[in-house]
Amino acid sequence: MSDTARYLASRLVTTLLIVFGAMLLLFTLSAVVPGDPATALLGPQATPEYARRFIVEMGLDQPWYRRLLTFFGNILVGNLGTDVLSGRPVAGIVGAVLPYTFILTFASIGLAVVIGVPLGCYAATHRGSALDHALAFISVAFIAIPSFVIAIFLLLIFSIWLDWLPVLGAGQPGDWLDQAKRLILPTTALSVGWIGFIARLMRSSMLEVMGENYIRTARAYGLPNRMVTYKYALKNACIPTIAVLGMGIGRLLGGAVLVEIVFARPGLGRLIFDAIATRNFSVLQGAVLVVVLIFVVTNLLVDLSYSAIDPRIRRDGAPQAAGQ
Amino acid sequence: MQNDLELSVSRRAFVAGSVAAAASPLLGALPALAQAKTSIAVRIERDITVLDPAFRGGPHDANVIRCVYQRLIKQKDGSVETELDAAAELKQVSPTLIEFTLKPGQMFTDGFGEMTAEDVKFSFERFAVAPVDGKISPYKGDWTGLTGVEVTGTYTGKINLSQPNAGLLAIAIADASGCIVSKKAVLARGVEHNTKPVGSGPYQVVSVEKQRGAVLKRNPAYSGAKPTFEEIKVNFIQDPKTAELALRSGELDFAVLPPAIAEPMRSAQGIVVDQSPGLAYVWLGINMEKPPFTDLRVRQAVRLALDVDQMLLAGFNGKAPRLNTLVMQPILGAWTEAPVYKRNVIEAKKLLAEAGQTAIKTRITILNQPSYQTMALVAQALLKEVGITAELDVQEGGTYWDAGKGDAGKNLDLFMMRFNGKLDPNFLMQWFVSSQIGTWNWQRFNSPEFDRLYQEAIVESDPAKRAAIVIKAQQEMDKSAAFVWLTNDVAFAVRRASVKPAYLPGALDWQLDRFTSV
Repeated sequence: MSDTARYLASRLVTTLLIVFGAMLLLFTLSAVVPGDPATALLGPQATPEYARRFIVEMGLDQPWYRRLLTFFGNILVGNLGTDVLSGRPVAGIVGAVLPYTFILTFASIGLAVVIGVPLGCYAATHRGSALDHALAFISVAFIAIPSFVIAIFLLLIFSIWLDWLPVLGAGQPGDWLDQAKRLILPTTALSVGWIGFIARLMRSSMLEVMGENYIRTARAYGLPNRMVTYKYALKNACIPTIAVLGMGIGRLLGGAVLVEIVFARPGLGRLIFDAIATRNFSVLQGAVLVVVLIFVVTNLLVDLSYSAIDPRIRRDGAPQAAGQ
Repeated sequence: MQNDLELSVSRRAFVAGSVAAAASPLLGALPALAQAKTSIAVRIERDITVLDPAFRGGPHDANVIRCVYQRLIKQKDGSVETELDAAAELKQVSPTLIEFTLKPGQMFTDGFGEMTAEDVKFSFERFAVAPVDGKISPYKGDWTGLTGVEVTGTYTGKINLSQPNAGLLAIAIADASGCIVSKKAVLARGVEHNTKPVGSGPYQVVSVEKQRGAVLKRNPAYSGAKPTFEEIKVNFIQDPKTAELALRSGELDFAVLPPAIAEPMRSAQGIVVDQSPGLAYVWLGINMEKPPFTDLRVRQAVRLALDVDQMLLAGFNGKAPRLNTLVMQPILGAWTEAPVYKRNVIEAKKLLAEAGQTAIKTRITILNQPSYQTMALVAQALLKEVGITAELDVQEGGTYWDAGKGDAGKNLDLFMMRFNGKLDPNFLMQWFVSSQIGTWNWQRFNSPEFDRLYQEAIVESDPAKRAAIVIKAQQEMDKSAAFVWLTNDVAFAVRRASVKPAYLPGALDWQLDRFTSV
């Protein structure tokens, strides 16, 4: 088996174990969290018969080990269950909001990369300059301000004072222009902190790489400064950023919830938030499973991508291969 | 060098072009010239769950349901009085028999045909008498006493009751529980009917999306008065601050908002804030089964130690009216002479001393909402002055709504609670009967006399006699000293000046089909 195949196999096994562990943890937490789902979901109007029926439909009358088996059994066959309140399949509910979350998350990451990477590079190559100091200050400020605070300010400025952009929701289905307009502010709100973070990370990473022997050698051979910086240094300096972005997608999925609430956008974060508040376990478990899958698959792709950039990582990551 | 320059110019041109292209959609956001509105957007604070009358999720669902389906009768604008809707005639023949005749030619949407008495029978009986697939409605209590609907003709039928139910018209027949569904559609669509409802009302549902809300459009086949707006967007907006911004920006036309958000909007251009007393009831409850509150004198001492006005000032900026009893105006049986308890520290201490309780340690359980937290802090300070040390137990919704249930409810001390009301005294009283102990009667108020009066009020059809019974029942509650009534809340309906809303007292139940342009 080749290094790549072994590496891929070991990462896949790890991925499956992570998914299993996460879902086991979720099941345990759902089982021990106080609060009766029937009460939280149905409210005072519910008759005792309806509440009992509800509990039965949710399977909460069953012993924990049976619920655990059913839970994993359903996952294995790709069944995320049914939302007993609306009677709709959880997969459909999650599927309906997933595109909104993907669009928001990837647009935010994209914006953060497009702005943060050049800023970090510039700061590193102009170390000690006034702009470097200014960027350091702005970056830290960006990181420190919570995204929902930025969201509210953006709304006040661009929606209320200037009346340029809409406040609510994700736009009319099928109307791409409307959807794009409604994406601008939430994307900006969510990505501001990441712009600062990526800029700081790129700066320190670039400075570290610029001090490496191979960069000095390249310079000694008289290669143009721009080529050394952007062709050789930037490539390796990007590795920590790519790793952080992988983790970042998971964090963004979770962090998007407040931005989704402020902009009244549909999304996975908000779905999970509502499901926890109402103890809607079937929706909660289905949505969290999807988040976990996105998270581990993204990290797997990130691992594979930077092992492609630097083959040493692949060898270090596959001990069997390293021993050959 | 020349090439670099050319490239640089080209890039600038590209960037300039891109900016222009990116800015062009913004132009679309500029305010349109004033013209008659054909579409409005309203805010609901909870997501739409089920648009089936028998299994609706709450008032947010009911507000959509009431304009999608017809009822035999419905409430007039802003009034407790009713008028005919789907029925050409509705006659109370006796306390246990109501006869109806439907207007012919009332068509269900999506090709499900004309409404007949068979649909009425199906719609009402499915709550509890003949549940479909064994599913009993959570609103079965609205139809207390219903034994069945007898179909006597295509358009005629009889509603038979086993006992008189004085609240039946207001609570069930004229409200969401009285909405008439298409039997064929419910059976054909099954679960899908929850989000693709088939009605015959002024509006029909175009789409329902999780976390977005619903889009309604005028039903061209509706036989009644044509509603003003072609389209209504019912937007689920959780955050009241977002709703405020949306109202200010003109994206939203109507929302009911908390006082702290609504009050500052009075000065906003193009915005109108309507303030009306709510139909909810908020109170501090005392668990009568938990020592030392088993002693009446201790409960009375708590009541005298608290200053309701001070608590309301803190919790609602003084904007919410004080409530002194369960049933408020304009509901039948409002006890206008109910005692107004003023703070009396000396008397409270005296009662505690008589009860041998001079150093009580207790707990106030509340929901994690700012107004309750503020009121509880004031209560904590006030109780301290009479020798009662109260710690605050602030819980999130999922846990809080379970706090008084079953055996766990026996350990509850003091708590603050809010229930939504309706325009019928029995609806308000139902949670305090002894059979509700361990469910929603968190005071564990066990009064056979109250239970008797509650039943008596259900079957009494004479309004004056019924009002007297309801007042007596409230006096029983007062005697127990297990309730410190706080407020019936206040509803701030915020709207664009161009839209005139229609809703029932309390602003909880909207009549979306009667919203008009100004």
